[in-house]
Amino acid sequence: MVIRRKFSSKYEAGWSDADELLLCLDTGSWRTKRPVVDKEECNYCGLCALYCPPQCMLNLEDYFAPNLDFCKGCGICAKECPRGAIAMVPEGEFADEGAKR
Amino acid sequence: MKVRKGEIKVITGNAAAAYGAMLCRPDVVASYPVTPQTEVGEQLSRFHADGILDAEMVEVEGESSSMNITAAATLAGGRAFTATSSWGLMFMYDAMLQAAGFRAPVVMANANRETPGILAVSCGQQDMVSTRDSGWVLIVVENCQEILDSVIMAFRLAEDIEIQLPVMVNYDGFYLSYLAEAVEIPAREDVDQFLAPLKLQPERTKLVPGKPLGCGTHGILVEFMELRYKHCAALERAKQKLDEIDKEFGEFFGRSYGGQIEEYRTEDAEIVVLASGSAAGTARMVIDTKRAEGLKVGLIKLRVFRPFPRERLTQALKGKKAVGVIDRSVCFGWNCGPIYMELRALSPDIGFVPMMSFIDGLANMDISIPHIERVIDEVYAASQGKSYQEVTWIPLEE
Amino acid sequence: MTQKKKKLPRVFEYFRDEDQFAGGVAFCAGCPLELTLRILSKVLGRETIIVGTPSCSAPVLYGQNIGTWHRLPYYSCLMTGVASSATGLVRYYRKIGKDVTVVCFTGDGCAADVGFQPLSGAAERNENFIYICYDNEGYMNTGVQRSSTTPFGASTTTTPVGVARRGKEMSAKNLPLIMAMHRVPYVATATMSHLEDFIKKLLKAKEKKYEGFVYIHVFSPCPVGWGIESDSAIQVCRMAVRTNYFPLWEAERGRFHLTHTVATPRPVTEYTKLIRKFRHLSEEELARLQEEVNSNFAFLHHLAEFETPKAC
Repeated sequence: MVIRRKFSSKYEAGWSDADELLLCLDTGSWRTKRPVVDKEECNYCGLCALYCPPQCMLNLEDYFAPNLDFCKGCGICAKECPRGAIAMVPEGEFADEGAKR
Repeated sequence: MKVRKGEIKVITGNAAAAYGAMLCRPDVVASYPVTPQTEVGEQLSRFHADGILDAEMVEVEGESSSMNITAAATLAGGRAFTATSSWGLMFMYDAMLQAAGFRAPVVMANANRETPGILAVSCGQQDMVSTRDSGWVLIVVENCQEILDSVIMAFRLAEDIEIQLPVMVNYDGFYLSYLAEAVEIPAREDVDQFLAPLKLQPERTKLVPGKPLGCGTHGILVEFMELRYKHCAALERAKQKLDEIDKEFGEFFGRSYGGQIEEYRTEDAEIVVLASGSAAGTARMVIDTKRAEGLKVGLIKLRVFRPFPRERLTQALKGKKAVGVIDRSVCFGWNCGPIYMELRALSPDIGFVPMMSFIDGLANMDISIPHIERVIDEVYAASQGKSYQEVTWIPLEE
Repeated sequence: MTQKKKKLPRVFEYFRDEDQFAGGVAFCAGCPLELTLRILSKVLGRETIIVGTPSCSAPVLYGQNIGTWHRLPYYSCLMTGVASSATGLVRYYRKIGKDVTVVCFTGDGCAADVGFQPLSGAAERNENFIYICYDNEGYMNTGVQRSSTTPFGASTTTTPVGVARRGKEMSAKNLPLIMAMHRVPYVATATMSHLEDFIKKLLKAKEKKYEGFVYIHVFSPCPVGWGIESDSAIQVCRMAVRTNYFPLWEAERGRFHLTHTVATPRPVTEYTKLIRKFRHLSEEELARLQEEVNSNFAFLHHLAEFETPKAC
């Protein structure tokens, strides 16, 4: 048997190795709406950061804001915010529509 | 022989399998009772309770669990053993495929019993045949001593860094499982020495807390094909490795079985009978009788079914005038025996000589001396140019 | 300018490690499963070994060829082999004297149906690992088929609503209660709306696993499969607790107590009206669902109040 190419993996069996390749999806591109945090309304309670499924709310000292690389636009942060400080705004309304961080 | 003589005990085949496993110091042992292998689990539990076997014993709730448990234990870096038979083997089939695909070096004793379809609590190789495509190494043995010795050799083969495959040691249920014979049990220290080379080789990949290695990735496209290729390549390497290990075992313990196949009086034979399991023992006696009558007949005992010992068989059968294969199972869809069917694939290499399939021994039907005499007579007639029947179900023709 | 809170909620203090998952992974937007896994990795840490199965979590837990979506060591199983594979791991680690936290992470399809036998076996043998079942009431990864924890009346692709039938006819089995009846050291229910409760139970699980088997049942609504908006999963969890549809309790060796009591339970319709899979239910059917919720909770309540009688 002649094998013309090198094996892509050094392992004999189906092992995955995060040190070799840690994958990441461009979930920021999934968004159709973007969370916008009103810095003044936000009382830094942290609930949005706790309930955010991708855990992508950034702690910015006295308020939180989403990491747009990974925010999927689900809207849980806006729904759970006790002060209503987060609004879900359609992506199309931003000059940087589809922006990452 | 390098080591001291072992203790001789009269024990059953099941007990021999248990002794073989105990001597190799497994870390995890799982057992579930199924006739005719139940005694293996009982004997291992007895060893553990008496402080002879220091292993984690798991009394599982089903064979599927035994296979999952032992495979996971080996992939965490340990040594694991289990035993089963027929329906238990089938119930763990999904886990067996996973063990083979994950290259988990599990060793399992299987007491051959009839499956599938008709419920038969009796001997037959159909259960082993049903797992042909599982990716396991399938060894078949002839007597109780060979069971014990093959379990030890199985660990040596399975955990070899160039192999890393699960190995099944098959022995005839009822004929060997319950038969008590004199078996020489090696000293544990000598078995430790025989298995010592495994410790000197590089450590195999294993699951480690804190290390981001995942066992069982989702394989896709060419990377998956590479893994399959590696698996097939390992099975290929297992053939020669089996021969080497058997030779080394012979030098160590004074008992050798020929490796992939045993050739008995085949050098100058004109016709050959191929058999496996305990039937090979009976066949040996008939070969001697026929030889005394002047017939040039030999026996090939098939010791490994997967990987199929293609090269050794070709070399042994080249130039022979006719071959008869005794199968203790059937090959559904080809209407013949499975070993016969696979041997036929070697016809271009051996030469297109008469090959005959003899199906016998299903469900505790004895493959008796008259049956084997008949096999030899018919193979001889075929070798002389007489017309012959390709497939014979011996008991149905009486 | 609003008064800023000086300190973040106490929950943040439970996070002892970084999130081990990559920033972007393939969970649906708004899926509480993603929250469960990320919080789990932060609370239990990077030394945890996760045992997974084909399910909604598999595309994230399992790698793709050599690549992987997270930094935790994992062992991938078939649905029939989760609790047994975990047994093999913990037994070997015990033999070599290594203290390892093994966590099985499966859906209800595995835990309640095809993987139940090994789960029950491992629980009966009191193996030292944590089994977490996220209950999204169906086989969601394969497209919303019913499982044995799908509730009465729910519409799924295998129990659809039409002229011949009106959703699932049978009631769901009470899996956490079944597991508690194995009398293992610790069984608990949890959900994502009550995060501190969940995290405390995770930490208790980590301690209790030294005594033996731990089972945690996490109520996990599926936005896609149940027909709820992507922003509503937490709200639905909260309402499930408030209606006693999903009570929060724990049981240590068969001794129950409620970890969260609802003063005035809301009617179950306040829960079902949020979820499209119940939309077709008639008044009678809703009444039956309410009756089930009431009797399940009453039973649980009795178990929690249970005291060993002085003489039998």
